[in-house]
Amino acid sequence: MSQDEAQTTASDVTISELLGAVKGFLMDSALPALSGRDQFNARVAANVLGIIDREQQLGPELAALDAAAAQQCLPGDPGPGTAPQRLSRALAAREIDADSHFFEYLKQRQLLVAAINNPRYASRKVAEEKWRDDS
Amino acid sequence: MSPDQLTALLNTELGESLAGKVPGEQVTQLERLSGGANNETWRLMWGSTSLILRRRPFSADSIDQLEGNILGLSLVDEAAVIQLATSTSVPVPDIHAVFDATHPIGEAFLMGFIAGESIPQKWLVDDTYEVARSRLAFQCGEALGRIHSINCSELPPNIGPTTLEKRFAAAQKRLHAFGDISPVLQFGLNWLIDHAPSEASCVLLHGDFRTGNLLVDEQGLAGVLDWELTHQGPAAEDLGYLCANVWRFGQLHKPVGGFGEYDDLIAGYGSTAGWAPDLATIRYWEIFAALSWGLVCQTMGALWHSGNGDLERAAVARRRSEAELDILLLIEEWERA
Repeated sequence: MSQDEAQTTASDVTISELLGAVKGFLMDSALPALSGRDQFNARVAANVLGIIDREQQLGPELAALDAAAAQQCLPGDPGPGTAPQRLSRALAAREIDADSHFFEYLKQRQLLVAAINNPRYASRKVAEEKWRDDS
Repeated sequence: MSPDQLTALLNTELGESLAGKVPGEQVTQLERLSGGANNETWRLMWGSTSLILRRRPFSADSIDQLEGNILGLSLVDEAAVIQLATSTSVPVPDIHAVFDATHPIGEAFLMGFIAGESIPQKWLVDDTYEVARSRLAFQCGEALGRIHSINCSELPPNIGPTTLEKRFAAAQKRLHAFGDISPVLQFGLNWLIDHAPSEASCVLLHGDFRTGNLLVDEQGLAGVLDWELTHQGPAAEDLGYLCANVWRFGQLHKPVGGFGEYDDLIAGYGSTAGWAPDLATIRYWEIFAALSWGLVCQTMGALWHSGNGDLERAAVARRRSEAELDILLLIEEWERA
């Protein structure tokens, strides 16, 4: 690494780092100064920053997974809506064969969604152990 | 509404409502308790008596067009059901005053304070409650059997009987109304429709009987709270709901609410109801409970978008992923059994 590159890296603050800094402010400075409902919501806010951070990291992988499933299950003109919406509507209309292959897609999708929204949820550990090797 | 405004309104109102029932002259120590993404819960002192105010801070008009009661009953109806439950030996608070949506306080009711621990993270793990936990699954079964024995003809007219077909249609309508954003919830609804049990007669269900809405003391069940999701349906629904993963608060190895075993719950239910649902039907309703939780999370997101609620409600919308994960885990387990 050249000296220029090293200096650039040292001065950069990534999105994740910014979110971490805001989280630190909320938990270390704001939260102790608040009480009642505001204190509760400060804690919620810190958790929400975690969701934002994880979604910006894992979101592209989730979008690619959904797009591939939509492409496979609903070939032809994609029509309106996002890939999850088109899949949901086709499921509701019973136009998708919800076979083991499709179930596999749902499981892999859900591992990502859970990792973004609530990685500490107890069932996620169970799902990770059961499904991670299936991919 | 600020605590000072609410205190002033309560002082104007409660002198008359509580006269002869609860000694005191004015509200002191009004404090909003954390938790409760739907209704506000406030604790206050009237004289030397602790009281609890449940208050709905918004109009439900924005989602009134949706059938069913995922948002919950009006607080007026909720208070009426709690008063009916006092005729059983299920531990519920006394109702002291009820205010409808036209009242300056807003839709609300005032009830007695029951001593006990409600926070699951405490009573599910603390040694103080070890004996309580060992009794609680049986006691919950007993209480549910008693609740289900309440005469449905005495209920407010908004709490009518329903069918599985109507429940499925209401869930489908919601999934569409909320934008069809979850293939997993739709997959879960399809599965529930395809595996529906035979129709059972309707009883009064608590509808939200779970860890988090129970008060526990060292002897076990001390209070049953939060009746806002009360509705009619098959008895097995309440039992399955209590066993849903999301309400085990991390204690997944204890299927009944994170504290007990299926056999004890079923035995307790049988002791007061004279019969009990089979385990397979209870487990079906666990999957239904997961779908319901997903729909509640979506409702919270829709409410927040309509300008009702604070940060917590927006954040709860993301907890939909818990329901989705459980639906897939439970269906996989069912199919492999």
